[in-house]
Amino acid sequence: MTDYRERVAAALEGGLRFAGLHASAGGAVVRALFVAPDGSLRLEDIAVERGAIPSIVDLAPAAAWDEREAADLYGLVFTGHEPLRPLVDHGGGNDRWTVRVAGADTYEIAVGPIHAGVIESGHFRFHVVGDRILQLDARLFYKHRGLERAAEGGSLEEGAAYVARACAACAVTNGVAYAHACEDALGLEPTAELARARTILLELERTWSHLNDIAAVCAGVGLAAGNNLFAALTERARRLNRELTGHRFLFGSVSVGGSALELGRDDVEAARAELDELRRRAASGWRELAFNSSFQDRLPDVGVVTAEDADRLGAVGPAARAAGRAEDVRSVSPRLAYDGFEPVVPERPAGDVQARLDPRALELWQSFELLDGLLARPVALAAATPTGRGREIGVGRVESPRGATCCVVERDGDRIERLRLRTGSYANWPVVAFAAADNLLPDFPLINKSFELCYACADR
Amino acid sequence: MLTMLKDLRRLRREEGLARPHRGRSLAIRHVDAGSCNGCEHELTLASSPYYDLQRFGLGIVASPRHADVLLVTGAVTSNMRDALLVAYNAMPEPRRVAALGDCALGCNLLGTGADLVGPVEAVLPVDLRIPGCPPAPDAIAEALLRLIDSTDTLG
Repeated sequence: MTDYRERVAAALEGGLRFAGLHASAGGAVVRALFVAPDGSLRLEDIAVERGAIPSIVDLAPAAAWDEREAADLYGLVFTGHEPLRPLVDHGGGNDRWTVRVAGADTYEIAVGPIHAGVIESGHFRFHVVGDRILQLDARLFYKHRGLERAAEGGSLEEGAAYVARACAACAVTNGVAYAHACEDALGLEPTAELARARTILLELERTWSHLNDIAAVCAGVGLAAGNNLFAALTERARRLNRELTGHRFLFGSVSVGGSALELGRDDVEAARAELDELRRRAASGWRELAFNSSFQDRLPDVGVVTAEDADRLGAVGPAARAAGRAEDVRSVSPRLAYDGFEPVVPERPAGDVQARLDPRALELWQSFELLDGLLARPVALAAATPTGRGREIGVGRVESPRGATCCVVERDGDRIERLRLRTGSYANWPVVAFAAADNLLPDFPLINKSFELCYACADR
Repeated sequence: MLTMLKDLRRLRREEGLARPHRGRSLAIRHVDAGSCNGCEHELTLASSPYYDLQRFGLGIVASPRHADVLLVTGAVTSNMRDALLVAYNAMPEPRRVAALGDCALGCNLLGTGADLVGPVEAVLPVDLRIPGCPPAPDAIAEALLRLIDSTDTLG
C-alpha cells in the first residue's frame, strides 16, 4: 500500500508531473499517470483493498478532482483525502461540497447552473465580503452524460463517437488524443502524411478557438466592438473548416488509424489565402486592442496565478504559459508534425488576465505560420502503419487550445475496457476557482473568460 | 478603435444584411441541459456581425422571467432536469419551448441511462425543433424567424 505513495513521491521528485488518475477494472485498480519533461509517460498502479487506497493529494494537489471523481463513480475511499467532497455526485445539501466560510459580514452568492447569457451549465458559489471574493466553490458535472462508461464494452472504432461528443470545441484534440491512445495500444504508428493531416486539423481548431477566446475577453470587459470583430473572424474560421472538411467543428475528420482529410491543390491554395486574410485582420484587431487603454486597464493584476501555484495545482496550456511555464505538448509530440516547435510565453508572464490573453495572440501567429507550411502541398488520405508492439493500455497526450489533454484506453482485444479522457479544461477548472479568490466579484466573468474553459469536456 | 469600427461597418456593407421589417420581437432564454458545447458556440455566433440576430428583435435575455421562448440545447441530463424545470416554471405565459440541435431532439443520444433523462420532450412540451449537429447560425436564425412569422400572437 505505502509502496504506491513511495513510487508516486519518487516520480514527482524525479521531475515527472502528475497527468491524471482514474479507477479501472470496476474499481479494483487505480492508475495514476505521470509525464516527464520529454513527454514520456509512466503509469503507477495500485490494487484497491476493501474499497480503499491511500490518497496522493498531499503529494500532487492536482489529483484532487481525479480522486473525488473516482470516489463518486466507483465508490472508492481515498485515505488521507480529507474532507473527500463529492464532485460528480450532486446528492445531498451544500454542506457536502462547499467550504464553510464564517465571520463578520460574510455571505454567499449562488450563480447558476443556468447563467445569464449563452453559457454552459455549471454552479458557482461565491463566499464574499462586500465585493471581495474570499472563496469560490465551483460545482460542475451538471452535464455529466456518462460518456466514458457508455463507450466501455464497444469497439475501439465506435469509441471515437463518444469522445467526439464530449466537446465540440475540442473535438479534434480529443479525437486525436483518443486515436493516439488506441494506436499506442494497437501498436500502430502514424505515417508522415497522417501526422501532417492531424496537425492541420489541430491547428485549425486552435485558430477558431483562440479567435473565439479573444472575442470572449472583449465581452468580459464589455468592449462590444472588439467582441464583434473577433466573433466575425471566428465565423470565418468556422466557414473555412466547413470548406475543408464539410463540418464547421471538423467533426468526423479524425478516426482511429486514419484520417478523412483530403485536400487538392486548389483546396490548400484557397485555405492558405483565407488564413492569410484571417491573420491580417486578426493582427489589425489585436493592434486596436493594444492601444485601447480602457480595455488594457482591466487586464493586469486580476486573477493572478503564480508559477508556483500553477505547478502545484497542475495548470496547463495558456494558463501555465501565462505564469512563465514554457510547457506545450506540441514540443514533445513525435506522432504529430511539430518538428522544432518552441512554446511561447508572454513577455510579461505575470499569471494574470493580461498574461493569459497574450498567449492567445502569440499562439495564433504561430498557428497561422504552421498552417501555411503544412498546407504547402495537397493532403492525401492517410492511415497508420503497424509496428507490431501492441499492449493492453494505450495513452495519448495532445495540446488542446486550453492545454494538455490526456486519453487513456484500456482494451481487451478490440473492445474498450476503460476509457478516460482528462482534458485541458478538466485540469484547469480548479485553477479558475483558485484565481478568483481575493478578487472583486465583478471581475470574475473576466477571470473566467481569460481561461475560457469548456464545461462539456470536463463533465463528459 | 476607429479602424476596428470602420472594419465592422465595411463588413456590414459587404454582407448586405436585410433590414428588419417584422416589427415584432421574441425574448429568448437559453438553457444548456447537457450539450457538447457545439450548439452554444453556434448560437453565440448567431449574434455576430454575419447574422446579427438582434436586428430582427431576437435577443437573449438574462432571466426566464423576461422570456417568451426557452431555447434548450443538449439531451437533458439527470443533473440538469430540475434546473430546466425551474427555469420553465419561472416563465410568464404564453411561452414556447424550442429544442436546439440533434441531442435536444433525441437523435443519436450518447451516454448512460442513469445519467440521461432523454430528449427535451421527455421533460417539456416542445413547440419548435431545430435539427443539426450543431445547427449553423443561419439555420438557428431562420428557425427562430419562422417562430415569429408563424405566430400572430403567442396565445
